[in-house]
Amino acid sequence: MRLGLKGRLVVFVSAFIITFGVVLTALSVRAQNERLRHELEDRGKLLTTVIAANTTDALAMLEVRELRNIISEARDQENVLDAVAFDEEGRVLTDGTVVNPRRHMLISEAAFRHASGSKSLLVEFDADAMTVTKPLHLGGQVLGGVRLRYSLSGLAEDQASLARRTATVGAIFALLGVLAAALLAEAVTRPLNEVIQATRALSEGKPVPRLAVRTADEVGELAEAFNEMTRKLRDTTVSRDYLDRVLETMGECLVVTGPDGTITRVNSAVCNLSGVGEDELLGQNCRDLFRAPHGHVSLLDALGPDGSAQGLETELLARGGEAVPVMISVGAMEENVGRNRSYVVAAADISERLRHEQQKDEFVTMVHHEVRAPLTAVRGAIGLLEGGVAGELGERGQELVKIALRNSERMGRLVNDILASRKLDSGRMEFHFEKVEMMPLIEQAIDSTSAYAATHKVRFELQEGVPGAMVRVDPDRMMQVLTNVLSNAVRFSPIDDVVTVQASRSDRMLRVAVSDAGPGIPEDFRDHVFEAFARGEHEDWRHRSGTGLGMSISKGIIEELGGTITFETELGAGTTFLIDIPESV
Amino acid sequence: MGSRLHLGLLLTIAIGCGQASEPPPSSVAAEQPAPAGVLTIGSVSLNPTHEYEVVRPFVDFIAANLHHVGIGRGEVVVVSSLSHMIEELREGRVDLFIDSPFPAVFVWQHTDVEPILRRWKRRSDVYRSVVFTRADSGVESVVDLAGRIIAFGEPFSTSGFLMPKAALASAGLRMVNYEDPAASIPGDRVGYVFSNDAENTMFWVLKQKVVAGAVNADYFEALAGDRISELRILLTTDAVPRNVVCARRGLDPKVVQAIEDLLLEMHLNDEGRASLEKFEETTRFDRFPGGSDQDLAHILTLLPHVQEDLGQ
Repeated sequence: MRLGLKGRLVVFVSAFIITFGVVLTALSVRAQNERLRHELEDRGKLLTTVIAANTTDALAMLEVRELRNIISEARDQENVLDAVAFDEEGRVLTDGTVVNPRRHMLISEAAFRHASGSKSLLVEFDADAMTVTKPLHLGGQVLGGVRLRYSLSGLAEDQASLARRTATVGAIFALLGVLAAALLAEAVTRPLNEVIQATRALSEGKPVPRLAVRTADEVGELAEAFNEMTRKLRDTTVSRDYLDRVLETMGECLVVTGPDGTITRVNSAVCNLSGVGEDELLGQNCRDLFRAPHGHVSLLDALGPDGSAQGLETELLARGGEAVPVMISVGAMEENVGRNRSYVVAAADISERLRHEQQKDEFVTMVHHEVRAPLTAVRGAIGLLEGGVAGELGERGQELVKIALRNSERMGRLVNDILASRKLDSGRMEFHFEKVEMMPLIEQAIDSTSAYAATHKVRFELQEGVPGAMVRVDPDRMMQVLTNVLSNAVRFSPIDDVVTVQASRSDRMLRVAVSDAGPGIPEDFRDHVFEAFARGEHEDWRHRSGTGLGMSISKGIIEELGGTITFETELGAGTTFLIDIPESV
Repeated sequence: MGSRLHLGLLLTIAIGCGQASEPPPSSVAAEQPAPAGVLTIGSVSLNPTHEYEVVRPFVDFIAANLHHVGIGRGEVVVVSSLSHMIEELREGRVDLFIDSPFPAVFVWQHTDVEPILRRWKRRSDVYRSVVFTRADSGVESVVDLAGRIIAFGEPFSTSGFLMPKAALASAGLRMVNYEDPAASIPGDRVGYVFSNDAENTMFWVLKQKVVAGAVNADYFEALAGDRISELRILLTTDAVPRNVVCARRGLDPKVVQAIEDLLLEMHLNDEGRASLEKFEETTRFDRFPGGSDQDLAHILTLLPHVQEDLGQ
């Protein structure tokens, strides 16, 4: 039978107490036996000494009858087995009896030797008795002595009685010890049993009562720790439920896999998108759910060293063979470093976005074919009208033709910007890189924009340059950026003001700074400066913004060229756009 | 110690027995009304209480068995001296006197009593005394004791004092009592001291406290033990009866006869033996083998040597 903690505690503590009690009892009995023995010895010595003192005169006078009477009385004393008085030769004078059968017999040689040379008591023990010999001397001469033999049976009885009493007391204490052990075990195991029962209730999902903390010791700490654990577990459960609800509510698909890609969890979005139930999905491999991204054999193959990936476009394989385009982000979770790596795959349905992209492409194609070509024809026709091909126009006619031409050009720029923006978004804009000198590009841009600036009564001033600095860019696209920035500065410059252009070099980067003294960019618009069709809220601002695509296009181009475009602005003081492009050596 | 008999103090205890004491063991006494007659035993002792305790059961037994001669109860009279006992006998207040031969003969000589029986004690009908010395003492005979000290036992002891003293005196030695064993003794006398105990006497001789001693011959070997070879016996006295029973002459002859008959047969039955045993280890009573006159004649010749000791 296997004992529980309580049983072991009872057995162990009881065994300890009983062993301790037995040892203590044995030691006590031994000590008390020694005490009884010493008491007997002391009594024997005292009685012998008294008897000896009483016999001294009789011995000196050789009054044997008197000696006999004294010794006879000595024999009547408790525990006295035998008594004799002996002479200086060690011969028995009397044993206290009239018959005196040992008369003249020699006492023990050891006792006689002792009596001859000492006045002290001689105590001898044998199995049954203690013999005390008291020598008597008078005037330096040995008279003889008395020798009393005491029974040890009384001592043995006393010792046995004492041992019985001690054993009884020991047994009582042992029983009390067992009882105490049982109570101790109960006291120790009761809180543990409460913990066990509470743990079982916890594992079975039953309500877990708060454990009573009765003591400030380890058991009390255990109860407190358990209560704290259940509280945290309850919180964790609530958090998990909350997380579950979040996961179930979110529109994105969420898939958790094991190290080998085995699906261990999905949210309802996955089921909805794939048309496959959760039970069926669990245990499948994610390669059965997601098509491998382009250029990879599997989804996991596309992950980086850290087990993560962002923005992977692939397809979710739905029931019935349908493939749903999704954008995937993967994160790795490691329960142990290097082992048991799990993956969290978040997949967003991008079919709608792709559809919008396709619609944009169709729109651009439509603009390109249905707007740009006719517009070119319109501009050509207006140009012919302005050139007088259709006859000399009156002043009013010329004015109207100029308005038409200006607006057609504006519309052309808008179309070009739209097409350029779309090309940038779709990655279809072509770049022809070549190593060119930067300053001529700047000067050329200034020249090409000067006419436009003149219409706004603004002039350019190239204040600083970096002669000979080379860049590796598409010159046309670089020019496009520069003219965008310059024309933008013109639009926001006050009349008769100057737009300054500075080119500088720093850490193998060339910087082109275009500054105007305009009103500055409103704070609430600064984050949207490079967004497409961003023109601000204020009427004046919107009026100056042009198509709203220029800065967006410029940013897209300059980043494709390996550079950056930023700005520094101050309301009422002006704005400086900074174009940084790597210097080519 | 000998002064005890010189006190002159007479202690007389007359204690009623019979009806006043425990019922007698005799069935006859229980069935018939006790006669009015009283039988009184006298005893000499300096310890009357002890003596009474010793004698009383004995006299009760006797009285209980003498109803047929008119004796209904017994009494004990304890006195402290022989002279007082003689007076008690003379006055008729004591009927029986039982003692050692010298006191008994002394009383017989001084009043009207008749020795009727011998009393055996410890299975001995007679006893002797021995006078002994250390073999290396240089004393070859009793004559050599002149000018020296001999130890006797108790002053009233027949074997320890009266008999050996009388024997030595009859040998021509002048016996003089001393208190100190180390006293200087003139060469014309033999000094004697009382050791008051036979063991004392033996050890005093062995330890040379005295040159010689006298003890009951029956106990000599036991007292000497394995040292007997160290001793030399100088004199062994003639045998004398162990004890003598004297009856007052005025006592009814029928009663005397009945007493003799009873005492002579006591040892033949259990009740009698038990009573005898309690009475100082008495073995039995018998008649004087040679008659009392003949058997006590030797003591009569020695009596003058201890007359003074007994009369005090």
